[in-house]
Amino acid sequence: MKLPYYPGCTLKTTAKSFDVSTVATAWALGIELVELPRWNCCGTVHALAKDDVMHYLAPIRNLVRVEQMNDEGLVDDNRVVTQCAMCYNTLKRANQSAKEDLEKMTKIRDFMEKEPNYRGSAEVVHMLEILKKIGFEKVSDRVEKPLSGLRVAPYYGCLLLRPREFGIDDSDKPSVMEDLLGALGAEVVDIPFKSKCCGAYHTVQMKEVAADLSHRILSQAAEAGADLVATACPLCEYNLGDRQKEIKKIFREFESIPVVYYTQLMALAFGQGEEATMFGENDPDPRPILKEGGLI
Amino acid sequence: MEKNESEMITIYVMGKKHLVPADLTIMKAMEYAGHQFKRGAGCRGGFCGACATIYRTKGSYKLQGALACQKIVEDGMYIAQIPFSPAEKKTYDVRELRPDASTFLEYYPEIARCLSCNTCTKSCPQDIQVMDYVQAALRGDVEEAAKLSFDCLSCGLCAVRCPAEIVPYNIAQLARRLYSRYIVGPTEHVLKRVEEVEAGEFDEGIEELKGMERETLQHRYETREKRL
Amino acid sequence: MSGYPDSMQESMRLVEETRAGRIGKSFPSMTAEEKEKILVDWHPDYRMDQKRRLKIGPSKGELMPLEVANALEAHPAIKPSDIDLSSISYDVDVLVIGAGGAGLAAALLALENGIAREGILMVQKLRLGDANSKMSQGGIQAADAPDDSPTIHYLDIIGGGHYVNKPELVEVMVKEAPGVIKWHEELGVIYDKLEDWSMQLAPGGGTSRKRMHSCKDYTGLEITRVLVDEFLNREIPYVEFTSAVELLMDDMGQVAGAILYDMDSDEYLVARAKSTIVTTGGFGRLHIQGFETTNHYGATFDGVVMAYHAGAALRDLDSTQFHPTGAAYPEQIVGQLCTEKLRTRGAQPLNKFGELFVYPLETRDVEASALIRECYGRDNGIVTPSGVRGVWLDTPLIDVVNGEGTIEREFAAMFRNFNKFDIDIRKEPMLVFPTLHYQNGGVEINVHTETSVPGLFAAGEVVGGVHGKNRLMGNSQLDLYVFGRRAGRFAAERARKATVGKLTLSHLDRYEKLLADAGVETDRRAPFLLPEYRGKRTLEHQLKLL
Repeated sequence: MKLPYYPGCTLKTTAKSFDVSTVATAWALGIELVELPRWNCCGTVHALAKDDVMHYLAPIRNLVRVEQMNDEGLVDDNRVVTQCAMCYNTLKRANQSAKEDLEKMTKIRDFMEKEPNYRGSAEVVHMLEILKKIGFEKVSDRVEKPLSGLRVAPYYGCLLLRPREFGIDDSDKPSVMEDLLGALGAEVVDIPFKSKCCGAYHTVQMKEVAADLSHRILSQAAEAGADLVATACPLCEYNLGDRQKEIKKIFREFESIPVVYYTQLMALAFGQGEEATMFGENDPDPRPILKEGGLI
Repeated sequence: MEKNESEMITIYVMGKKHLVPADLTIMKAMEYAGHQFKRGAGCRGGFCGACATIYRTKGSYKLQGALACQKIVEDGMYIAQIPFSPAEKKTYDVRELRPDASTFLEYYPEIARCLSCNTCTKSCPQDIQVMDYVQAALRGDVEEAAKLSFDCLSCGLCAVRCPAEIVPYNIAQLARRLYSRYIVGPTEHVLKRVEEVEAGEFDEGIEELKGMERETLQHRYETREKRL
Repeated sequence: MSGYPDSMQESMRLVEETRAGRIGKSFPSMTAEEKEKILVDWHPDYRMDQKRRLKIGPSKGELMPLEVANALEAHPAIKPSDIDLSSISYDVDVLVIGAGGAGLAAALLALENGIAREGILMVQKLRLGDANSKMSQGGIQAADAPDDSPTIHYLDIIGGGHYVNKPELVEVMVKEAPGVIKWHEELGVIYDKLEDWSMQLAPGGGTSRKRMHSCKDYTGLEITRVLVDEFLNREIPYVEFTSAVELLMDDMGQVAGAILYDMDSDEYLVARAKSTIVTTGGFGRLHIQGFETTNHYGATFDGVVMAYHAGAALRDLDSTQFHPTGAAYPEQIVGQLCTEKLRTRGAQPLNKFGELFVYPLETRDVEASALIRECYGRDNGIVTPSGVRGVWLDTPLIDVVNGEGTIEREFAAMFRNFNKFDIDIRKEPMLVFPTLHYQNGGVEINVHTETSVPGLFAAGEVVGGVHGKNRLMGNSQLDLYVFGRRAGRFAAERARKATVGKLTLSHLDRYEKLLADAGVETDRRAPFLLPEYRGKRTLEHQLKLL
C-alpha cells in the first residue's frame, strides 16, 4: 500500500523520532508512506478561524498536493495520512470546510489563480485510523518482542478526539490506542484523564497552565501504576515530557515518568532497533525503565 | 539600427504618459523617454536585481513583478520601479550558527508568520518557488532552501509584496551560506593544495618559468600537455 | 512557437540537420602563425584607425582605443576652486572606491588586518555589489585538482597573455588561487561539486587542465552576494550612490583620499584617507568601436582616469578583450554575455551552413577574431532582421553530449534569460557575436597592489599587467579576490604607519596644464560616471533649472 504522507513541521524538527518511527513501523506493516513532494506548514489552529480566508490557503494547498500526487501517478490513494494531531485536526477541518463552504472555496480559488484548484477529492486520516483498518491482528503478527510486563498509559489529548465529528474514535470512550498497545503485548493502564487537555500551545505564554494540567495527567498515570505514557501528538509529548522540569519546580514531590510516541513502542515491539525507536530523543529518558523490564 | 521606423506604443512611467518604440525593454524605453537611471539600473543583463519593477498591463487589475532590463514593454503598460526595499537584514557570524530551523527563527522570527499564500512566488521575476524555500527553511531543511533559492537576485519584489512581512531573500542568503559551510563543507583537495603551496612545493617550478627567455617560454607553452 | 524570425529558420534547419554528424567532431586548433595572422587581420585591437597615441602623462605615446584616449585626454570632472578642502566629511584609515568583488574583499581584509571598522569607508557609485563581478557566469580558475598545479596554471596564463604579463603578479595569483577557493567555502559560497564532494571542474579557452570552478552559470552572482552579506554582517561603514570623482592628494605627493559626489544631493564630500584603494572595475560602457558590451551600467573607466590624474602609471591599455560569444539575438539583449562555459560543455560555433569553422576553445582574442572573420570576411554569418550579424552557438549539443537536463541545471541563467524571449536553448541554437568585455590593461601595480603613486592601491579589472594582452576565462574572478585581499592587507599595513600632509587638488591643475601644453582642445570631462542612453529628443531639449 502506498499512501500520501504529510509529516508537518514539528515532525521534521523537534519530533523527528515520531517521523522516523512512523515511517519505519508503517513499512514493517507493508505500508509505504510517500511524503508529499512539496508541502507547506498546515497553519495549525490559526488556519481555522472561520472568517479568515487567507489562513485556509495553507491546509488547502496541501490537499491540492495530494490530488497532484494522484494525478501524477506517485500514489493511487486519495487519503493523506498524518501523525501530528494538530496537523490532522487542521487539515481535516479545512477539508470539511472546503467541501461545505462554496463561497470560501470560490475566494480561495480566485486567489490561487493559476495554481491548480482543489477538487475536493482528498481525505485526511490519522495513522491510528489506518492501523485500525489494517487490523490489530496484523500488528500483532509483526511483533517480535512483545512488550510483556510494560505498563503503558495511552494519552490521546484533545485534537484527535474533538470536535466529535472529526474524532478518530469515540470522544468519551476511545479505545484505538488501547487496542494497539494490547496488540503489542503491553499492559494497558487506562486513566480517566487520557483525553483531558495537556495545555497545548499555552505552553508558550503561560507555561504554568500547561505544567499544571500535565501534572494532573501524569500523576494519575503514575498512581495507576503506569511505567510510561504513550502519546500521539508532538505538542502533548512536549507538555507531558519536556515540561516535566517546569512541573518539578511547582510540584516538589513530583517524580518523573517517561513519555514516548506510540510508534516508538511499535518499533521496539517490531524489533527495529535504535535507528527506528530513537529513544535517545525523549526527555525524560525511557531507556532505564525499558531496560529494567528487559525490553532493551 | 538599420530597421524602419518602429511601431510606437504608449506606456506610463510613474503615471506619466510616454510614446516609445514597441520592441524596447522597460529599461531602454524609460531611457528613450528621457529618464536617466541612477537608481534602478545595474548590470542591465538580468543578474543583479537592481531594476526590480512593478507593472500592470492594460485592462488588468493585477500587479506583476519584472526586471526592467529583461521585460519588453506593451501598449498601455503602467510601470513603477522599486529600486530599494527597506527590509531589515540581520547581522550574524556564519561561523557560529547551526544549520537548522532554530537559526532562521532566531534571526528572522517573522518567518513563522508565513501563510503559504504564495504571493512571493507570483511576484518573483526569476520564477523561483519562493514560498517553498521559505517553508523549507521554516522546517529546517537548509539544503532544500538553498537549492530552491539559488537563482535569487535579491531584487526585493517578494519582500515588498509579502503580507506577513517576511523578507524571503534574506532567509535564502542565510540558508545558502549555511548549506555550503555546514552541509557541504570544505573541499579536501583544495585544503591540501593550500598546504602544499604554503610549504613551497611550487616555488621552484614557477621560478624556472619566470626566469625563462621568451622563446623558451613560448616553446614550453605551445608544447604543453593538455589534459581536458 | 520559436522566438526566431522566419528569415533565420532556414539556417537553423541546417544546424539541426548537421547536428548528429558533428557530435564528437572538433576543428583543428590554429598554429601560432595562424593565430598571429587572424589577430592582425580581424581583431578589433588591430584596427589602427580606431586607436591613437596618448598625448599626455606617464603613458604618453602609448597606443590606445580612441574612446580610452578621449577619457584620458579630458578635463578633470571638478575644479579645485570649487572644493573647500577644509570641510572634511570622512576621515579614515582605508578608503575603498568601488564595491565589486575586489573592493568587498579589500574592505573585509582591511578589517581582518587590524583596521577598526570605523577606520574603513567603502564608497560605491551604485549599490553594493553592483559590478561586473556579479555578472560573471562560467567560473573561477584555481589549480587545486590533483593533476594540476599552480606552475601549469602560470604557464597557461603567461601564454594566453602573449608573454607580456607581469611575472610576479601572475606568480602571486596562481599561488594564492587555492586559498581564495578555501576562503570562499569558509564564507559559504556554494561551488558545483561531483558526487564524491570534489570540485566539478571544467576547461576554458587556453587552459591545459580542467580548472574552472563554477556555481552553475551564476558564479559571479553567488560569490558576490556572499561577500556582500559578509560585508554587511561586519557593519563596515559604506555609502552608496556616491561616486569618487577625483583622488585627493597631499603636499608630500601621496594620494590622501578622494572627492566624493553624492548623486542624490549633488553635493561634494571630502574623504581623507591614509590608504586609498581603487577597485572601480572596467570600461565596457565606453563602447569601444561602437561595440555593445557585457559590462554593467557603471563600468565607465572612472578609476583609471582618477589614478591618471594623480600621476599613476598605466599599462596594456592598447589591449581590449572582446568576448567571442555575446548575444546577437534578440535585439533587446544584444551584447549580453553568453558564458564560455557553453563551449566547454560542448556547444559548437557554426556558420550559416551549420559548419564548424574554428576550434571552439581558442583563447578569447583568437576566437573572437575567427567569429568576426566568418561574418565579415567570409560573409558566412547569419543576419538578423535588424542587421546584426552573428554565428550560431549550437547549445542543444550540450544536452546531447552530457545528458538531458544539463542545460537547465548548469546554465540556469542562460536558459531563463533566453526563455523570456521564447528561445529554448535546449532545442534551438543561440546567435552570438563578439562583444566588448574586459579591460585587459589599466593601472600598474606591484605585488603589494601599490600603484606608482604612494598611498594609492588598486585591484581587480582596473589593474593592468596581470593578464598581459589577453585574459583567460575564470582568471578575472580569481584576480578580484587575490588582489582585492592583498589590497586590503597592504593598505591596512600602510595606514598604520602613514601620515597625511596638507590636502591639495593641485594635481588637477597640473593635469589641465598637461592638456593645454599638448594642445588638447575639448569639452570632454572625465570621469563621466554614467553612460548616456537618453533619447535623442530629450538630449536636444535639455535645461537645468532645478
